[in-house]
Amino acid sequence: MPEGASSSAFTSEGLKINRGAVDTVRELLRTLLESGKVKAVLALGRTGGDEGGVGYSLFRNPAAFEANGAALPLLPFMPANAGALLSRLTLEGPLPEPVAAVVRPCELRASIELAKLSQGYLDNILFISSTCGGVYPLDAGIDGNLEEMLPRYWQAMKQGTLDDKVRPTCRACNNFVPEGADITVALLGEADLDEECTLYVQTERGADFASCLEGATTEVKQENKVLERSMVQRDAFREELFATVEVGLEGLIRTFGRCIGCHGCKTVCPICHCRLCHFDSQDCERPAGFYEGELARKGGLRVPPDTVYFQLGRMAHMAISCVGCGMCTDVCPTDIPLSTIFSKVGASAQAAFDYHPGKDVDEEIPLRTFEEEEFAQVAT
Amino acid sequence: MNDKGAVLTAEDGVKDALIGWLKETLKNGVFDAILIPVETPGGDSFAYLLLQDPAILDSASPLPPVMPVQGGKALGRLTMRGRLNRQIAAVVRPCEARAAIELCKLEQANLENVCLITIDCPGVLPLSEYLDDPETSAVRHAGASSAWDRSPMRPTCQICDHFSIRQAPGSDLHIGTLGCEEGTAIMVAGSAKGERVLERTNPPTLEKEEESYSLNGLLEEWAAQVEEMERAQTKTRQRAHADLREAISGTDRLLDLFKDCINCHNCQRVCPVCYCRQCYFESDALKLPPENYLARANRKGALRFSPDTLLFHIGRASHMATSCVSCGACEDACPMDIPIAQVFSLLADRAQETLGYVAGMSLEDPLPLVTFEMDELHDVEQPYVKIYAKQEVQDA
Amino acid sequence: MSEEVAFEPKIVYFMCSWCGTGGAETAAAHHMHYPENITPSRVNCTGALPAVHILRPLIEGADGVVISGCHPGDCHYDDGNFRARRRVALVKSLLDTLGLEAERVWFRYVAHGEGRRFVDTAAEFNDHIKKLGPNPLKTRSDT
Repeated sequence: MPEGASSSAFTSEGLKINRGAVDTVRELLRTLLESGKVKAVLALGRTGGDEGGVGYSLFRNPAAFEANGAALPLLPFMPANAGALLSRLTLEGPLPEPVAAVVRPCELRASIELAKLSQGYLDNILFISSTCGGVYPLDAGIDGNLEEMLPRYWQAMKQGTLDDKVRPTCRACNNFVPEGADITVALLGEADLDEECTLYVQTERGADFASCLEGATTEVKQENKVLERSMVQRDAFREELFATVEVGLEGLIRTFGRCIGCHGCKTVCPICHCRLCHFDSQDCERPAGFYEGELARKGGLRVPPDTVYFQLGRMAHMAISCVGCGMCTDVCPTDIPLSTIFSKVGASAQAAFDYHPGKDVDEEIPLRTFEEEEFAQVAT
Repeated sequence: MNDKGAVLTAEDGVKDALIGWLKETLKNGVFDAILIPVETPGGDSFAYLLLQDPAILDSASPLPPVMPVQGGKALGRLTMRGRLNRQIAAVVRPCEARAAIELCKLEQANLENVCLITIDCPGVLPLSEYLDDPETSAVRHAGASSAWDRSPMRPTCQICDHFSIRQAPGSDLHIGTLGCEEGTAIMVAGSAKGERVLERTNPPTLEKEEESYSLNGLLEEWAAQVEEMERAQTKTRQRAHADLREAISGTDRLLDLFKDCINCHNCQRVCPVCYCRQCYFESDALKLPPENYLARANRKGALRFSPDTLLFHIGRASHMATSCVSCGACEDACPMDIPIAQVFSLLADRAQETLGYVAGMSLEDPLPLVTFEMDELHDVEQPYVKIYAKQEVQDA
Repeated sequence: MSEEVAFEPKIVYFMCSWCGTGGAETAAAHHMHYPENITPSRVNCTGALPAVHILRPLIEGADGVVISGCHPGDCHYDDGNFRARRRVALVKSLLDTLGLEAERVWFRYVAHGEGRRFVDTAAEFNDHIKKLGPNPLKTRSDT
């Protein structure tokens, strides 16, 4: 059984709608807003003027989800991990009224993980996710260039494959079937997604909200084959990608050699939530004596110091919860393949504890709990 | 400009001459350590190293083709918890020296025991361009540098008019290369500290077969070239700023500028003069209950999330524009290619002009927001034109 | 008024605890009226008003911001108003460079006993903003 999400989801009801997938989602959200069933929707939308950019927005006006409206749900782009955004939205308290959020599986997992870390509340959030075919790198979204990529993206999706210009992190992702969403839109491998759409409804709340849409209710048995095939492809790519990581001290020093210590990776990481990161705190502000001592010992010292220390330290703090969303690689000014490294280390740490970040809000984070009898091999 | 100086010469070029000189200073105890960019182990970038082993200087580069870390920031990190107890030399660009001086005034650096050594700077390549192909980029940069051709450099460097000690007078020592013959450079002292260092070292002087160069002759030639280039660069800068101002002026164009911003705050993180441990724009002051965000979304029809993108940029400018040295680190770090350094250099120039200040020139210039004149900025005070005074008569 | 402007400006009026609010209180004592769409906001001293607090209202829904404190020489904290003047100069420079109508920010001294001056300022600024029109920033959701 391959790692990652089980491929036996979706035994619940499915709604088959006679409308393209993106249009269906638009219509669902428009209806939900207009009827007042949700007070706002977190989704991608246009920013700036006509040849605008793309960013997440909290939409209030149902008109945004009309045909030429500002909202762009399901666009293959992730300018921020929506899990981090939902955490920001609910940091000071739960949402007072229902809000829908269109999120990718990794964003959903980040959201759930953050709730476990007491960084937000899941109450009143209607999660709408999809079987994910990945997103394009951040720089593909500059100056509206994403438009050009859309035909090839959807072409690949219909065939159940991933466009090879989609981020490597996504092509290696084996967690592309969302668990814990209220409504999941079937996208991957749906050859007719331009004309019709299947919505899997996984919760009561999901059923309640989806009932706004007109569509035949059918008990759909999940079509495993496409998803299984995709899983096999992704697992193979994942192995290849993880093999490119240079391990060992020399390898790490080479890889992180060009790190400039901007800590952008930490800022965009949904799991990294500390108000003041340890590596930004006074604990890492070194007095003169430190530098002089290091000089005497080693003959030379990088300034600012603690480059590899920061990377390994951040791993130690968050790899157990890493959802492999890839924001870190996207934001790095020196193109270090951080997500590959962190996903690899994360996967291995998670396997050691048999832990699945973001899968189940009741699954306790490994470092917050323990068994009396475990890890005997660690104690000597 | 004083006439305390020396000539640096080497057949293999200025870089080798300078590295040789630095090695001598380490050997003779003039400096205990040198802070200088060194090639990274992967050969794919440069990082500041504080070194006392002369052998490491063989991989050092005084003016590498990129500026991944701002030298002022490095100096800040090195001395924020107190001055060093050893004498060090920091080999940096003029904008990095100016940033270090600003940081001193902001109490985030201590330049005692630091000898700032700057070099005439032709600029650096955009970081992402360099990373695509470091080898070819290095060659391109070297060629452009020696010809003082700024066209391949970053936009911020193309409009820089603070490239020499004349515009960064806080330097202790400066290597002048502009207008010098190939393989020659001059070294001038900018301060008593620099003079003392020159006296203690003995850079070789030039002796040619046909002519013997006098230091003063070289100095004059160099100074004239610097002045001329400054005039030309200032014109270029003013033109570029005027064009830029038009391109981003007004709500529509401004929000177009920031349409791709993802709020990663890389710009703030790499900025040498943004030193707050926790930035205001990441603090609890902007973390509000969901009702606040929903109300704002309600009022505007939608709310870009995470919110406060424009507030972050203008707000950050309000915090640091008076200390901005237009180094361009922000633009190199932006993942969405926003011309943020160009915009901030425009904002900074105008803000500093309004307050009669130029960032990074001298430790003696007080920071403009911690001081004031009684008689100034009267155009900010809204004149009271009693047009409503008539109303009082009617009221009575 | 020759032009009928259909909008009610939203104005934030920062006043210092000493002269600024004093002026407002004197006006109240004399039963002088000022427009209802002014939202007063008290700061201890205009010198303690961070630049960001002038920017936030302008982005989130205000059409104009006034900052009123003591006259030069009268500041309860000696020089807060001089520092405020520099800070307002900085903010106006930024707004002006970005074409964001720096004239939506006014800095005027109002003394404790200047009730008339306070009321005039509020009314004058209100009319000034009505002429300028609504702040284009406040309806943009992509700020």
